[in-house]
Amino acid sequence: MTGDTFDLIACGVGGQGVVLMCNAVGEACALADMKAISGEMHGLAQRSGSVFIHQRIGERALAPLVPYGEADVILALEPMEALRHLHYLAPGGLVITNTHLVHPPGETNALATKQAEGYIEYDTVMSTIREAGARVIEIDALELANRAGNALTENVVMVGALAASAGFPVAKEAMLEGVKAIVPPKAVAVNEKAFESGYAACRKAQ
Amino acid sequence: MAFKDVIEKEPRRAYMLTNEAIVRAALEADVKVVSFYPGAPQTEIMDTFDRALAHFDYRMEVAANEKVALETVAGAAMVGQRSLTSMKSVGTNVAADALYSLAYTGVKGGCVCCIADDPYAHSSQSEQDGRWFGSTSYLPMLEPSDPVEAADMVKASFDLSEKYESLVLLRTTTRVNHQSGVVQLNPITRTPFEKLSWVENRRKYVTLGAIARAGKERVLEKMERIRNEVDLARFNRVEHFDGQELVIGKEAAAKTCKVGIITAGVGYSYALESLMRLGAAAKMLKIGVLNPLPEDVISTFLGTVDQVVVVEELSPYIENTVTALAKDANPACEIIGKRSGHFSEALEYNIPIVIGVLAQVTGKELPFDHQAHSEKLMKLAESLPQRLPVFCAGCPHRATFWSVRRALRKPDSVFFANDIGCYSMLSLEPIDWTDSLLCMGSSMGVAAGVQHSAQERAIVALGDSTFFHAALPGVVNAVHNQDDMTLIILHNSVTAMTGQQTHPAHPHRAGGMPGEQLDIGAVLEGLGVGKIVHIDSYADVKANIKACKEALDHEGVSAIISHGECALYHFRNYRHAGGKLVPFFVDKDICRKAYTCIRDFMCPAISIDPSDGKAQIAPELCVGCGVCSQLCGWKAIKSTATLQGGENKAYMELEDYHELQKVIQGKGKGKDNGNGKSKSKGKSKGKGSAKKGGDA
Repeated sequence: MTGDTFDLIACGVGGQGVVLMCNAVGEACALADMKAISGEMHGLAQRSGSVFIHQRIGERALAPLVPYGEADVILALEPMEALRHLHYLAPGGLVITNTHLVHPPGETNALATKQAEGYIEYDTVMSTIREAGARVIEIDALELANRAGNALTENVVMVGALAASAGFPVAKEAMLEGVKAIVPPKAVAVNEKAFESGYAACRKAQ
Repeated sequence: MAFKDVIEKEPRRAYMLTNEAIVRAALEADVKVVSFYPGAPQTEIMDTFDRALAHFDYRMEVAANEKVALETVAGAAMVGQRSLTSMKSVGTNVAADALYSLAYTGVKGGCVCCIADDPYAHSSQSEQDGRWFGSTSYLPMLEPSDPVEAADMVKASFDLSEKYESLVLLRTTTRVNHQSGVVQLNPITRTPFEKLSWVENRRKYVTLGAIARAGKERVLEKMERIRNEVDLARFNRVEHFDGQELVIGKEAAAKTCKVGIITAGVGYSYALESLMRLGAAAKMLKIGVLNPLPEDVISTFLGTVDQVVVVEELSPYIENTVTALAKDANPACEIIGKRSGHFSEALEYNIPIVIGVLAQVTGKELPFDHQAHSEKLMKLAESLPQRLPVFCAGCPHRATFWSVRRALRKPDSVFFANDIGCYSMLSLEPIDWTDSLLCMGSSMGVAAGVQHSAQERAIVALGDSTFFHAALPGVVNAVHNQDDMTLIILHNSVTAMTGQQTHPAHPHRAGGMPGEQLDIGAVLEGLGVGKIVHIDSYADVKANIKACKEALDHEGVSAIISHGECALYHFRNYRHAGGKLVPFFVDKDICRKAYTCIRDFMCPAISIDPSDGKAQIAPELCVGCGVCSQLCGWKAIKSTATLQGGENKAYMELEDYHELQKVIQGKGKGKDNGNGKSKSKGKSKGKGSAKKGGDA
């Protein structure tokens, strides 16, 4: 958020396709002749663990990591992960989150062994995020992905939502091309649908 | 897509990972022989070469370990071929024996070794600083800051290697390896692969005694020549930032400035961006050659500043030399770094850390208090449950260790020597079961010492790839010394944790070509292991527990070989071959909330339905291994195949799936309206997961 730099934290649960979200944005930047840089996470953290990626767009973005409190947007495939990485968000910044909670096996185990009374609730997570001063756009990505024809396009739904958010510097057309360039050829149609539905949902929510 | 860009022959702009840019540059440099063992953060170098093998003519091996990989590329370079290997920080320890000798013998063809450090130990057992390998072995070492510079340095390394007949090291860190950026691709023009004549190229690559003593003289003299190598001068760059504009090169060098910054690698980007944010003036020396450090350039630089801030992660590698040089170059110059207490030797850096120090030194006000903001907001997240990595849905390790722990009855009654692999995650909460975990293959040696010293039995866990990588000498040692321990070999067919690469017990070698598949059971038998039992991770858990007990009760060295392919690998192949996942489900009428499917099992697909407190299985996560159904005393967990007329069993093989298809089709023909109710449920579940494509 240094003048012309757009800072993004993309997060979710290992296996949800967080890396792909950022690859789509990066690809779009390359197509749109914009500079983009990222600090990614590969490997062990992907095994259903917490995954987050730093992505920065703009000529003056040099470092691969977004400084704390400077992200313009947190793009979350899972709401708890949005809260977990909230310290990266700029004061008054935007959280775009999927509404679908994914409970870690450890949390379920605590319930089963009576070490906890119940799961953390969606409303609790969201009110904590709001009380911290963040603006919030909620996207039912699982529902939209299912409607597009594949539950696993949740990540592309969220990329569509990001493309529609106010202040996002990359044009919608380039973003869609970015998505098309990185998904398997036979899955282009379903992913395009997922992208458009996320885009429309975000436009409506703003 | 980045891979398409890596193999694209024509020039273009492309968004790619540094690891991909390194491969691209090596291909542009006409590399001929490559060999690797995977390990974060450099695995994508090997993976990209593996995929590119179908498009370019070079020779590649997925090596048994990093030492073999380095020796392989050294052998190729002795003959005169250009060659490259890459390894993670701690992998270099394995290869180091060969590395130090290679410095003395030299090479003929360009030979490059990438060493990827992991500050913050994101996926390593220590925050090892690999820069010392360069200076202590007398090998030239370069360090890039981003993908563009990495590509440039790979090409320069090949030229340097050939000019000085020396192995060249390229050092990176996680934040450079796993940094993506927009890279300008140059054309690829390659020569056909040809074997060269050894007889025509013969010279001795020997180091020993008197030859080694003469070799030492040679390497010292060589390093002095490299110090003056003009082709490397551009990598040690002086810049000047006046608070607004950046100038580079001669113009910058001529400036005098109160504050100087000396930095390398990713630290450079943190330092320069911090200056820009502060609007502070400083002169920078960005070092790209870590060995030999450009001492003249550093001394000259020190003469033009009053204070110098050294920005480098981990140990004070550059700072030590700067401190030593300042004694003559500018004794009055204040050195700000780790010794002064401004920076830590621990963890990775970022802008908040670097800008804090630079604000203090330049007297500028911090535009934003990152640390205070971060601490305040991180408190809000404290109520969240931890989300640690766990075994994937359908992972064979989950089932294996469930049986092993039941066979032991009290898992804490043994010394559990764990090793490096996905099973390392057993050490994490809430399973939290591991007594030692050092490095690849170390479980064997540790267990040998434990069985001499402790009353309890020693149990060892070893993945199949780790077994071949570094555990074989430990097995030989244990058998010969008549040690007493049980090995649990997790034979999941691939090097799973790093992304399911092949290894010596896999039917394929690099590029998907057929390889000789080693039989781990036969290896152990040949080495004289007294008792070997084989279990199938997904089979009857009672039978597995019984088999495990037999091995655990054996006096001497015994082994449990647990067979079951890595779930990510197995089900990816299964889907590509046309199979569809057939998930399991919880029959809510039967579930009695005993939670035997959850406790000590912890499959990410199973959770508790808050509405009724009963277990539930997420159809989009379940792969249908069915092990959980065996754990339920009430038999409440069933295959969704039963809803379509199929059997209540795991559908994991293509033949089984085809059988189910026939049942469904046959049923559809016979009774058109008979299966409406069950079909809707089963089918919609099947559909969601069936299309698990490449977009996840």
